[in-house]
Amino acid sequence: MFSNIMPEVRSEDSVVRYYCTAGNGMEPFLVDEVKRKLAAQDVYQIPGKVLFSSSATIRRVCDLKAAERLFLLLKQDSPVRLSTHTSPAKAASVLQSRLLGDGCQWISAVRTWSRLQGELAASRNAVTASTTQRDREKGRGCEKQSDEGLKCLQESRKRRHEFTSEESDEKRRRGREEGARLSPDLEKVDDVSEPKKVCADYSKIELEQNLESCRKNTDDLGKDAPLGSVENVSFRINCKCSGKLHRCVSAQEVSRVMGIGLSRLLGWKADLKNPKLEINVYLNDDYCLLGIPLTRLPLANRSYLKTPGLRSTVAWAMASLALIEPGSCVVDPMCGVGTILIEAAKEHKAACFLGVDIDDGQLQKADENVVFAELQSRVHLLKASSTALPLPSASVDAVVCDLPFGRKFSTRINMAENLPVILSEMERFVFFVSKTILVNRKKKKRKKKVFSLFYIL
Amino acid sequence: MKLLTHNMLTSHVKGVTKGYPLLIKATEVKVNEVDFNPKFVCRMIPKLEWSALVQAADQLGHREDLPGELVPDYEKNEDFLKKVHRVLLEVEVIEGCLQCPESGREFPISRGIPNMLLNEDEA
Repeated sequence: MFSNIMPEVRSEDSVVRYYCTAGNGMEPFLVDEVKRKLAAQDVYQIPGKVLFSSSATIRRVCDLKAAERLFLLLKQDSPVRLSTHTSPAKAASVLQSRLLGDGCQWISAVRTWSRLQGELAASRNAVTASTTQRDREKGRGCEKQSDEGLKCLQESRKRRHEFTSEESDEKRRRGREEGARLSPDLEKVDDVSEPKKVCADYSKIELEQNLESCRKNTDDLGKDAPLGSVENVSFRINCKCSGKLHRCVSAQEVSRVMGIGLSRLLGWKADLKNPKLEINVYLNDDYCLLGIPLTRLPLANRSYLKTPGLRSTVAWAMASLALIEPGSCVVDPMCGVGTILIEAAKEHKAACFLGVDIDDGQLQKADENVVFAELQSRVHLLKASSTALPLPSASVDAVVCDLPFGRKFSTRINMAENLPVILSEMERFVFFVSKTILVNRKKKKRKKKVFSLFYIL
Repeated sequence: MKLLTHNMLTSHVKGVTKGYPLLIKATEVKVNEVDFNPKFVCRMIPKLEWSALVQAADQLGHREDLPGELVPDYEKNEDFLKKVHRVLLEVEVIEGCLQCPESGREFPISRGIPNMLLNEDEA
């Protein structure tokens, strides 16, 4: 039964349309990556997001490096237009007809979502089982779990916990306000005391449910499936509303209207605290986009990084710009905690990396990171000054570096004065053909980071 | 410090013309088992200064039967690749120092990381 959902046997009609969010300026990298790694079709780029269709397995989609978060696309449409003179009732009906549309679309989306969740859980189980096995072989890990399933469960529970503490605080707050408004229109929201208990066993139940529904779906493949798996869905709507529309209607209002509409249309239940399904809605002047998040944690949270440095997606993009080939030797003369090198080494299995830094504390953390990522054989560390590196001329194929321009991290010395020295040092030992990749970070208003990448030949 | 790193390092003390290869004076050497990746070893061999590698392995007492000359057709010789893999990636100097062959300047290695930082008057 399980082989049906495994990657290799996927048929053509299992093409799924996804979208990913991406950091500012990262969209072209993500477009390139989905085309290259997932053979994605109909790739479409909008600021902050990339839409694509792919029949690749969910595991491979989750391995995207340039993306922040991954969603299943529910609906993409032209922008909703309302004028400030529109009455609230009219606005609600416009929103409902535009955003909800046909119930079949929602049902099929939720089916796909459950199937993908089931596959993800299955692959996660497999990974956990194999790591437990490996840990045991190496005799590592302070507490050896006798039961692999238990460990997996704990892990997913932990994930759930992290998610709850990190993300949903704000949503909860928002949720409560909304809840107050919603409740008269809907069935009573569950008692507060009940979900707490549920929360602990949530992942287990969810896991089982997902597997269950996944099996069900595979069984029903091709037939006219009964609606069993998509009834009694609990959901929550997260809405972001910007542009002109924001002046006419608030995000909360959109969530409320959609919540009521969905409950009426499909009999689903709004649950702001612990929903089975989250629905993200983006409305602005250029488009309206609806999606269901596929992972709790962003894809950009790398499981193999212990101490994060530069944003992992940006580090990955820099490494990809360096055009690293098998057998290349790559140096980061100011490696810090080694994020760029680790991202590059995970991507390029037959290249050698050397991280150089002047600070013992950073090198210590870098060393821990390298060990944690199990890259000791290919990522090597060295203490030296970036202005005088102990490397022969023309000995290195590429340099990747996040230079401290003295904006975010202050230094005793004036960085601007030292830059030419550092650059000429880089040019000395890099082969003529290779490229030096630098990243320049500027802090802009609203703490938004703008990354501009440029090459020096 | 693994011998692959050592193979790339050169002394950069001011005025030194031939600072390669650095001599190794090790006080603590560890051999860690690392997964054998033949493709990676194959790709690294052309980049190596073979004589320097053999000399370094000799100094640490881990040369075993590594030949003095690079064997032809090493790509298919898995036995040879395994030997190179061992010397290159498994043997690691944890404590000790590297010495510049010309000036005699010593660079300490602590916790596996060589410190190649120069004083201001040396650079």
